[in-house]
Amino acid sequence: MTPGRTDALVSAIKRINFLDVRTIGVILLALVILLNVMLLPPPAQITNQHLGMVMLGLIVIAILLGFPIAFTLMGLGMLFGFFAFHRPGMGLTDNPVFDQMVLRTFGVMTADVIISVPLFIFMGYIVERSNIIDRLFHAMQLAMGGTPGSLAVATIATCAVFAAATGIIGAVVTLMGLLVLQPMLKAGYDTRLATGSIAAGGCLGILIPPSVMLILYGATAGVSVVQLYAAAMMPGLMLAMMYIGYVMARATLRPEQAPRLPLEQRNVPTWQVIKLLVTSVLPLALLILAVLGSILAGVATPTEAAALGAMGACVLALSYRRLSWLRFKESVFLTARTTSMVCWLLVGSWLFSSTFAVLGGQHIIESWVLSFDLSPVQFLILSQIIIFLLGWPLEWTVIIVIFVPIFLPLLTHFGVDPIFFGILVALNLQTAFLSPPVAMAAFYLKGVAPPHVRLGQIFLGIIPFVMLIIVAMVLIYIFPQIVLWLPSVLYS
Amino acid sequence: MDRYLFWIDRVSAFSGKAVAWAIVALTGVVCYDVGMRYFVNQPTQWAFDWSYILYGTLFMVAGAYTLSRDGHVRGDLWYRALQPRTQAGIDLALYVLFFLPGITALIYAGIEFTKTSWAIREVSSVTASGTPIYPFKLMIPIAGALLLLQGFAEMARCILCLRTGEWPRRLHDVEEADIEQIRALVEGEKKS
Repeated sequence: MTPGRTDALVSAIKRINFLDVRTIGVILLALVILLNVMLLPPPAQITNQHLGMVMLGLIVIAILLGFPIAFTLMGLGMLFGFFAFHRPGMGLTDNPVFDQMVLRTFGVMTADVIISVPLFIFMGYIVERSNIIDRLFHAMQLAMGGTPGSLAVATIATCAVFAAATGIIGAVVTLMGLLVLQPMLKAGYDTRLATGSIAAGGCLGILIPPSVMLILYGATAGVSVVQLYAAAMMPGLMLAMMYIGYVMARATLRPEQAPRLPLEQRNVPTWQVIKLLVTSVLPLALLILAVLGSILAGVATPTEAAALGAMGACVLALSYRRLSWLRFKESVFLTARTTSMVCWLLVGSWLFSSTFAVLGGQHIIESWVLSFDLSPVQFLILSQIIIFLLGWPLEWTVIIVIFVPIFLPLLTHFGVDPIFFGILVALNLQTAFLSPPVAMAAFYLKGVAPPHVRLGQIFLGIIPFVMLIIVAMVLIYIFPQIVLWLPSVLYS
Repeated sequence: MDRYLFWIDRVSAFSGKAVAWAIVALTGVVCYDVGMRYFVNQPTQWAFDWSYILYGTLFMVAGAYTLSRDGHVRGDLWYRALQPRTQAGIDLALYVLFFLPGITALIYAGIEFTKTSWAIREVSSVTASGTPIYPFKLMIPIAGALLLLQGFAEMARCILCLRTGEWPRRLHDVEEADIEQIRALVEGEKKS
């Protein structure tokens, strides 16, 4: 791409921003309301199913309005449930919606699959707060000294390892941004290449086990988290390799975008590199292998593996003398906040979806989708496009707990394996972090980048990686063995 | 006014941080159970009950703390671009429309649910360990009440913002900022 065209694109993106998100918001709101009104029959013919659709329309409006989604779901589920369950002559407090509410809540509180979520989050925060990643990157960088684009390759490799130790993103992008962006820019790397590899690498955690997203998908879809993890291994590694391959190819073709490190930085004695690798990469790699290995081999449940992993992370951080009491406390409190956010969202959505089911809203959607007479391929493509588009304005947690359940009952009809579907969703949702306007990864990165790095440059840098994700999805569709091979070897 | 709002923030933060330590206990309980099972071959019955009790208490009671730090996920694409007054108006309306009925219903239903369980001194039916779970069910109304309290503080803030045109301060503005912390962490390491 010539510099002139790039500048034109950047200014185009700026103009879109200038077009004012507020106007877009109002237009979107009006559209949703209009659609809702248009699709409704005259008041006399309104059935419960239509109420279900109104409920779905309202949730979209409320999400656009920016209210905390957990409480929107709860409020809507409770109010609509109240009407759905109400029978003439029933006392105000006898309404079964209250039982539904407390049972759903207690259901989340006792869901044994989800117990591993706070543990993995805790493990992630310990690894993050103790800044183990710093050593990791340093070692990787030295080990890859000779390869083209070594800094970017080391960034992605570090992200992949870190992703396997955390399972939540955001912090990964922030940390990596602080840690490696300056060195990369100083070494003369192209801003777009540098920011793109940090943002894309930081999002690998959503796919690479022990991804929290896959646990939530498993809980929602009622499939085994263990099998999901096994299925996600190969695609996760494949995507990381694709990123690395792309960066290396770009560095070879356009050496000025990723200059080699000066010789004195590359010529570190081999024994020193090996020593660094052994002390910094090996312990974390062993911990990850133990956690994932014991889950995949069926020796430990995800909860047990997560608890051991959290314990291991504490021991590791302590032995590096990186875990102060303050850092430990921060990790504990941050874990509580993140867990609470995720689980209250589940409380809201379980109530919402049970009301939605009672109203029969699902039937309307099902018969509507089935009326198109889609082939399974068309259905898969359509559903992934919808999820891709939803990823622009929404966060992945919201998509998983509200919108994916709408697709799930349709899977059996089209004969799609829910595990296969889950991996496609996990791949797809990475783009939710990467594509504007709500590219969280880009915003996290912008927050820690030096001021001369513009948001437009970050977005442009991300585009090729989003393309790679789409290529990976197509590859997985054409060769489903990439997903299904490991589970079939392990559990057939 | 700020004084009362900060007081509510502190109640939420205290309760949230208190239950946050459940994660440490949870890690310990599960690890202990694994150790007993694989090394001594004596699996513990109560460990499973305690694992979900700790996990459930953790996220339920920390809900108010999370709300006080604005930690509950929003779809804020459009919201972020609005004037504070408009944000406050929308928030206040939706707190009344969705939050109040939802949380009030949860507290009411939670009390009924707990009463039944408390009356029979219910024990766990998942394992045969006889772990009492009626106090665990009490966490539902407690978490609801804490959330309601924090919700009132948030609504008061909306009203203040509608009046003055800017968001009143929150406790955590005074206390901590996440990105700054990570920055300090990385820069501290570089120096040392």
